[in-house]
Parts: sequence; structure tokens; C-alpha cells
Amino acid sequence: MNAAQEHRGPDDEGTYEDPQRRISLGVRRLSIIDVAGGHQPLSNEDGTVWAILNGEIYNSPALQERLRARGHRFRSRADTETLVHLYEEYQEDLVHALKGMFAFAIWDERRGRLLLARDRFGEKPMFVQRSDRGLSFASELSALVGASGRTPDLDLDAMDMYMVLGYVPGPRTIVQGIEQLLPGRLLTWDAREDVIDVRPYWSARRSPPANHEAEEELTAETLRLLEQSVAGTLVSDVPVGIFLSGGVDSTLVAALVAAASARAPETFTVGYDVGQVSELAEARKAADQLGTVHHELVIDQASVARRVSVVLSALDQPLADPAVIPVHAVSELARRHVKVVVGGEGADELFGGYPRYRWLIRSTQVKRVLPERCAALGARALAFPPFGAQSARLADVIAPQTTRERHLDWVTARRRYARPQMYGPALRSRAGSEAALDSLAPHLDGFSGELGGDAFMQLDQRHWLPDDVLYKVDRAGMMNSLEIRTPYLAREVAEFANSVQATTHLSGYGKKLLRKALETYFPKERSRRRKTAFRVPGGHWLRGPLLPLLEHQLDGGTLVQEGFIDREFLRASMDRHAGGEDRTSILWPILAAGLWLDRYAGHS
Amino acid sequence: MAGPLCGALVTTWARPRVLVITPDFPPVKGGIQILSHRIASSFRMLEPTVVTVDHPAAEAFDRMQTFEIVRVRRQPGRRAFTTLALNAGATRVALRDRPDVVLSTHIVVSPTAALLRRQLGIPFVQYVYAKEIGAKPQLARFALTRADRVVSISRYTTELAIAAGAPADRIALISPGVDAPAVTRTDRPLDGPPTVLTISRLEDRYKGHDVMLRALPLVRAEVPDVRWHVIGDGPLRQTLEDRAQALGLGDSVQFLGRVSDEARDEELARANAFCMVSRLPAGRFAGEGFGIVYLEANAHGVPVVAGAVGGATDAVVHGETGLLVDPQDHVAVADALVALLRDRDLAERLARAGRARVEGFTWEAAGGLVEAELLRVLT
Repeated sequence: MNAAQEHRGPDDEGTYEDPQRRISLGVRRLSIIDVAGGHQPLSNEDGTVWAILNGEIYNSPALQERLRARGHRFRSRADTETLVHLYEEYQEDLVHALKGMFAFAIWDERRGRLLLARDRFGEKPMFVQRSDRGLSFASELSALVGASGRTPDLDLDAMDMYMVLGYVPGPRTIVQGIEQLLPGRLLTWDAREDVIDVRPYWSARRSPPANHEAEEELTAETLRLLEQSVAGTLVSDVPVGIFLSGGVDSTLVAALVAAASARAPETFTVGYDVGQVSELAEARKAADQLGTVHHELVIDQASVARRVSVVLSALDQPLADPAVIPVHAVSELARRHVKVVVGGEGADELFGGYPRYRWLIRSTQVKRVLPERCAALGARALAFPPFGAQSARLADVIAPQTTRERHLDWVTARRRYARPQMYGPALRSRAGSEAALDSLAPHLDGFSGELGGDAFMQLDQRHWLPDDVLYKVDRAGMMNSLEIRTPYLAREVAEFANSVQATTHLSGYGKKLLRKALETYFPKERSRRRKTAFRVPGGHWLRGPLLPLLEHQLDGGTLVQEGFIDREFLRASMDRHAGGEDRTSILWPILAAGLWLDRYAGHS
Repeated sequence: MAGPLCGALVTTWARPRVLVITPDFPPVKGGIQILSHRIASSFRMLEPTVVTVDHPAAEAFDRMQTFEIVRVRRQPGRRAFTTLALNAGATRVALRDRPDVVLSTHIVVSPTAALLRRQLGIPFVQYVYAKEIGAKPQLARFALTRADRVVSISRYTTELAIAAGAPADRIALISPGVDAPAVTRTDRPLDGPPTVLTISRLEDRYKGHDVMLRALPLVRAEVPDVRWHVIGDGPLRQTLEDRAQALGLGDSVQFLGRVSDEARDEELARANAFCMVSRLPAGRFAGEGFGIVYLEANAHGVPVVAGAVGGATDAVVHGETGLLVDPQDHVAVADALVALLRDRDLAERLARAGRARVEGFTWEAAGGLVEAELLRVLT
């Protein structure tokens, strides 16, 4: 199991087995803090508490100082050792003292209990498998798959959800019998009784008070919290870089890091040799103004096919988000210079960066005033092709539909309606499944009736953020042995952002408070820029360099051969795409699933 | 028989008159309200007239007072209009009474005080706290550069006032007083769950209820039956309640809302610790000016935990009457609370010293010092 995860931790490895052979812990380590003294697993003084950690506890130094004052003796500065002693103080409640991104396991020899925990937003993964041999867990799905001796069957419902959503929502995974521990959850396993208990210790919750504060006050608070969070993520024995796209989120983070660092930080960005290349220019401009040491990488058409097939097939679970490609590339670039970078992930979900939130609010308003029959008629008229893309959007806004379905269709380009034609015999029974839609419901607690911006911001924070955005960033980073830290996801920042009215966040171009905060560093025109972060010319690539990969899927891919995807449908989609119609939203998920499945089934 | 009567008349005539202009006055609850009332009530040499804002329960309250109270009508939902009306009302009363000196208890009424000073030559003394200096910097500068004397409630407030333009030699630091409870319970109930109490409006984020919510699960890990009672209401209440629920705090937290003075005193009499970890807000905004509520807790024999910043460092003596902690470090807040809840000797020692220290903070003393400032600008 350990060997399967070598890329996550190339610097070191270690194992522990308890005397009664109830449990065995294994670790692969990427050394960031206390590079020499942090060998894992680590135990307390008498060897009764053992811990392994994937990730980073940002407030570990402060916690160690405090624990020392209480009489604990430390052998290293490693944050894994902090966990051990903190556990002695608080047991399971130790999570409440932690800041950072983490997935960890603590074995309590005396009580015969295993504790597994995952950070609040799910930055670090944790997979769990129950079997007659007990409980297994790992940072990567493939480690569990590899250890189980035989290739587990695919979970067809998960496959269907992937096809609809573009990612597999937790706690499910793409294979049967293995689950993810959800973000903000604790799992305890009592080895004596063989009882498992999972409970939440934190969850993202939108609950803003009535507007009673001046925008200036909220902006000042945003800056204060981000400054602290950035300072926290810079606690490290190694140099830290920044992913800089030139958009609001990453530029603000870069400005904060530059302000907090003694020497000029290194920034990294990625661009393309097709389509818009202005991102490179934007990032360069920001880097110039901030005085960073800037690095650029261009993903050219010649290299993209290789990168796509390597990255998409190496993923634990299929992921249809094309942004994994630039994140992988920029991670590769950054790793040549640093071991740790900070990124802007979470800003869109917390501070209202997606325009659809505003559209959803508008659709709710329309629904209130427009009779359903009129709305249906109007929507049909507006969807008529000659009216163009703008009016098609408007058609979506007024069409009678529950807001939850509307949301799903907007974020998934209405893929679920293509399933009857898209699915081959192996998946056909799921063509009408509502599993993807149903998976949204548990994250809408606290909301009822007509859902608005608040509900969907919360939903994105709990559904899309962990299983698409953070999954993508963690895997792309780890494939390059690069750690990516996300200051926007500090709980203090998140709790604050979630206690500010959606209308405040969404005013102007959205992310109002971040734009305002950025004005502290840059003149007004910059902060007005719209979202740009690492956009991908996926449609372009699918007509050019990726065409051979698609053709291979058509003729030799497991996805078609085993009847998951209908061959004729795929061919027709490819033809239409080649003919100029944009079918990226269908072709990319199929390609991503195909490449992943070929490797999983051992056909590549 | 004529002699003593004449004497009394002469003294009455000779008592200089002070016009107290205040937007904050009982029966509305709050620190500045109490302060305005207690200070006005404690004058011996000066004859006060208070101009303030109307309230449904004002009539009953005003009848109990020994000085004249003039109330202007509140403009519901429009604070700016109410402030305008108050300034206009104060001007009217001043023209009628021709007071000898003006006490402006809030910078929002300083325009009237400054006008009277310029047009009629009536000197004025300006009270400052903290929050308003950050929130209304221009008005603060206006008030602080025109007042004959400035009364600040803490070292922190003095710093803010100087930064806002007040000449250092015109500032008098006068600590607020505290109402001693009728009975101080010396014996905390030993049965029942250990209780932490917080009292404040749920309006300003800087009061630190969010940090307290983060600390509570850690406190609960070491003191499993701990209870946190939150007195006060305001826009942040629902947000805080939702967060408590998301943290699975369930029965450990109780939001009591606005309560009567009696219920409040009862809570203070039962609490094992008072905790309000006010921090300094971001940017130009100001935090806790003093925190009379810490002294009130001390007066009830409750040891306190406060943030080691702002005016609270005057209200609380670390290690003597309470514990001052980094108000942004929820682990430190949890440690302090656990120490108070677990270490009975420590809690008792702090409570005893707190009660003793509070005896030095009487409204009579504070009022006397403010009166001296008013008399000083008269001559």
C-alpha cells in the first residue's frame, strides 16, 4: 500500500504495527516542516499513541509551545508529533484546535481506538474501506484498490453521477466498497467492539445576518483575516511560491504574500499557444507590479496530448474538469523552484465569484412574478437558435423548473438529458437516474422553499469544492510532489465570508469584498477585471492534438468496449465537434473517464 | 426664619448649570446610557439638565430623577434624523436656559456643543469612548479639536483621541464606575453545570462571540458539562446560533436574548466565569473602549476572561482580577476558561481581588472628577 503512494511522499517512508497486530500504519512523506526530525509514524513518550498525517498543521508551532508549557516533551518539531500530544489533551476534540489542511490517523493503543479525521473543506483526501479483515484507509483510492488483491467492481451509480456532474461526489467513490470520509468529519473505530462511528465536527454553513455593517468595515475585516491566514500558511521551513493567474483571487493572495515576505516571492503561471493568451500578460503585469520573481509556462499543442493522457489516467477517480491540465503543468513548473505554493482556491465559492449565483437570484425573482405558462412559452421562444447565446441564457432563467435542477443544469451543461443516447448497455439502466440531483440535497440543510444565492453558495462549498476543485488541486500537486496551500479556506476566513450577505458578495462583478481589498494594493481598474483563472482551450484541443486520444476511445477504449458509452453517440459527437459545434461538455468527460478506465482496467 | 431660606435660595441661584446632551440615556440599556445617567446624577456643585431622546418607558423613569430631563421625539428607523432633532432640541434648551457649561456625552451631539461655544461662549467638555472615533473619524476630529476638555475612559481611548487630533494636555482619563449589586454572592453554587457568561449586544463582530464558539468544543473536552450563556440580542444572533449548531454544540450553548436586569443579575450571581474576548477590529475601526461589563462581573464576584487589547486592559488586571488572553487565539481562550473552571482556588482568588478592586470604581468618584473638569473650564 505504501509503495502505491510514493509520489505523494518521495522523501521518506515508515510503518508501525501494534503489538497485538490489530493495526498497521504506513506512511510516505513529503518533508516540509522539520525535514530531518519528522519521520512517521510518530508516537508519544511511552508509545501508546501513534499518529500519521497527510498535509500540514499551520498552527503546529504555537500548539507545541503551549503543549510544552503543559509538560509535554517533544522529540521533533514535526506537526505529526503535535497531533500525538494534542490527542493526549483533547482526544477526538483535538480537531477543534487545528488550523490547516489535513487527513490524519491516530491510534490509541490503550483504548484500542482508531481516529480518522479530514480537514474542514476536504483539501486532503481520505478513503476508507470496511471489509471482513477490518478497516483500511489511505490517502489515495488506488492504494486501497491495490491492497485488496482483486480489482473491485465499478459503482454504476457513481459512474452515472460522474457522467452528469463531472466528478464523483463523496462519500461515494467510483468503486464499490470504498468510501471517502467527508470533509469536516471524524471517524472512530473501536477495535475491541469493531464499531465505527462517523460524525461531523464542522460544516460550511451560509448564515448571514441582516446588512448592518458598512462595506468598508467588511472589507477591512476581509483583509485582516486574509493577512492572518496568509501569514499562517507561510509557516514553513522551505520557500513558498504562488500560483498567479492575474485574476482577483490569486493577485490578492500574491499581494498579501509579497507584503508578508522579506524577499520577493516566486510566482508561476501557465498559458497556451491557442486561443486567448492574455492571461499570461495579465499575470505578468501583476507580477511586475508586485515585484515577484515570475515564471511562465506555455502548454503547446505538441505536448498537450501526452500531458492529458498521463494526468487523466493517473487520477484516482475520473474527473472531467479540464483545469486539472493547467494546474498540473503549473505545479510541474513550480516544483522546479519550490516545494510549497499558495493558490486562490475557494475564493469563488466563499466570496461569490460565479455569475450563476446572480442568475439564480434573477430566476427566483422571475418565478415570483411570471405565471408558469407564460414562463414556459417565453422560454421556448427565447431558446430558438437565431436569438443567440444571451437569450438562451435568459430562456434558462425563466423556464419553470426547481432551482435545484436549474443549478444542476447550469453547472453541468445539461448533460443529464443526453444520457439516453450517450449510455451504452452497461449504464443504460441509469439513464434516468436522479442520483446526481439527489446527492445535492444533504448539503442544503438550513434552507427550505425557494432556494437563493445563499443555498447555492453553501452547496458549492460542500459538493463541488471538495470533489472537483480541491480534488483536482491536491492530485495535480501531489503528482508533482508539490504542496498547494489555500489561504481562502482558513476557517476564520470561511466563517466570516459565510456571514456576509450574498447580495454584498455579488454586487458589481461579484467578489465585491475581494475586489475592494485588492484596491489597497492596486488601482481600481485592476480589481474590476472579470474572472479569468486558468481557463482551458479544451474545445480547441479536442479538434486537434487530442483527436487521436478520442479516436482511440472510439475504437479500443474500455469505456466503449464494455458498453458504458454508446459508440455511435461518441462518433456523432466527435463529428459535430469537428464540424464546428462545441461538444466539449460531452467529449471531455468521456475522454477523461475513458483514459482513467483504461488504466484502471489495465488496458493501457 | 428668613435667614436659612435666603441662604438656600442664594445657593440655588449660585449653582452653575450644566447642559448634558446625550443620545444614550436610560431606560435604554447599555454602557454609555448608564454612564450618562450616573454621571449626571452624581453632580454636587452643578445643576444638570439632560437633553436626550424619547422612549416609551421614559416618563416613569424620568419621574424618579432629581434633575430636569428634556426629551426630543425619536424618528423610528432613522437614526440620522433623530440625531438632528436631538441637536436642534439641545440648542432650544440652551437658548432657553443659558447654561454655564455643556457636557457632550457623544460626538454626534458635538455640533451643538461647538455651536453654543462659538455663538454664546459656553465652554464644553466632550466624552469619548472608542468605537465612534473609528466609525466617524471626521466628526471625532471636529469634536476633539473644539472641546475645551476631553474625557477619555481608558488609556486606549486616550491614544485614539490623540490620534484623532485631541491635544494631549486637554484630555482627562476618568475610569467609569460600576453599580454595586445589592447582594454579592460569595458562594458559587457547587451543584449544576459550570457556567460561562457573556453579556453584550450581538451587533459588533469584535466582541468575539465567534472566537468563543471556536473555543467552546475545546473547553468541553476538558469540562464536559460546561454551559455558555449568552445574554444580548442583535443582528448576529441567528448567525451565531447556526454556527453553534453546525459545530454540534447543542445544549452547551444557550442564547438568552435580551433579559431583565433581575434575570441578568441572577445569571451573574450563578456564573463561574465571565468571558468576552473583544478584539481590535480591522482597519480604522475601534474596539472595546473600556468594558464596564467586566467590572460588573467582578462586582458580582465573577472572575473574567478578556482580550488583552484595547480598553479591557484597564478594566481587567491580568492574573489579579481576571485573565487577559490573545482574543484571536481560540485555544488560548479555551485554556483560560478551563483554568478558571477547573482551578477553584484560582477562580476564587481572582474573584476576591476583582470584588475588592471594583470598590475603587464608584460612580460618585467618576462623577466628581467629571464635575471637576466641567468646573475647570468655567473659570
